[in-house]
Amino acid sequence: MQGIQTGIGGKWAMAWTDIIVQGLKNWDTSLVAYVPDVSIDRVTTLIDDDPFFHLVSATREEEALGVAVGAYATGRNSAVFMQSSGFGNSINALASLCIPARTPIPIFINLRGGPGEFNIAQVPMGRGTRPILDVLGLVHFTLDDEYNMDKIVDGALKLCHANRQPVAICLTQLLHGGKLA
Amino acid sequence: MHRFEATQLILRHAENRPIVSNLGPTTDELWHAGHRDRNFYTYGNMGLCSSIALGMALSTEEQVISLDGDGSLLMNLGTIASIGREQPQNLVVVVWDNEEWGQTGHQSSHTALGTDLEKVAQSCSIPQTATVNNLEDLEGVFRQALETPGPWFIVAKIEETEYMPVAPIEPEMTLYRFRGSFGVSK
Repeated sequence: MQGIQTGIGGKWAMAWTDIIVQGLKNWDTSLVAYVPDVSIDRVTTLIDDDPFFHLVSATREEEALGVAVGAYATGRNSAVFMQSSGFGNSINALASLCIPARTPIPIFINLRGGPGEFNIAQVPMGRGTRPILDVLGLVHFTLDDEYNMDKIVDGALKLCHANRQPVAICLTQLLHGGKLA
Repeated sequence: MHRFEATQLILRHAENRPIVSNLGPTTDELWHAGHRDRNFYTYGNMGLCSSIALGMALSTEEQVISLDGDGSLLMNLGTIASIGREQPQNLVVVVWDNEEWGQTGHQSSHTALGTDLEKVAQSCSIPQTATVNNLEDLEGVFRQALETPGPWFIVAKIEETEYMPVAPIEPEMTLYRFRGSFGVSK
């Protein structure tokens, strides 16, 4: 496990990647479906290397949600990783499957379009992701740094299962460093 | 071959195996053929029927049956590649192929004009595939699929007939009942 020094209080804490992996384990979430993304590759690589998890590579984000719902339907907790552009590909899966059936699936989104974004094509969907989540009535959290991140990830997963609806955890470039132009 | 009689045939052989059904008439006719807790009816999410079944097959040792449709699968052909990549031996996909988008006005689908879904599955490394045109052949290959490791991909050519009434079911109860049948209380 990697240690990092947080900006506040100077205490040692887990790296953001380990916090997510530990959070998933704490909630017995062993199937992860994803579409590869360079910025969250550090987490999905840890997941792929860990025998606790089964990482399923989907061809499209809505497909990843379908796989995750199937796992949950048989009693296995699941999560999804995607980029904000791919969130655009998954809206109808959320609206017509996850929400009506009430599936508690945490969705980790690399949120593009913030400070440091270099690609004009990533800005509209990146900026639109959270407003769309709001319109759908889905709870979301945004993580810019590791301060309190373990509590937020754990709390988000707890809320997700209590509410039996998807919860989005948006990971910004300020957290993970992003993709460089 | 009509979808309802073919659905009845599938249900006769499925015993207690979980079945995921594509939205629309496939879901309605599964309900009319025999409502059971192990039916995972879908109501929207066009294209995701076999993706859901893939997630199930990776999470249970039981055989999982997907009743998909040509129009829906054409919306998410990538999931055939994902099944080929994951190679779940306990997954049986049956595609009701009417070569049209039945509910939107009977427009021809791509399978009427050159797309061969069985060949797509073969090219995605799905080891067990078949195309059937009548009930007798469907019964033979489906029984074989239940006894032989897959993944299986069976294209069943069907003709549309009168639609049955919409099934009186709803998503949250479907998920609740289905999970309960796997011993999950909530």
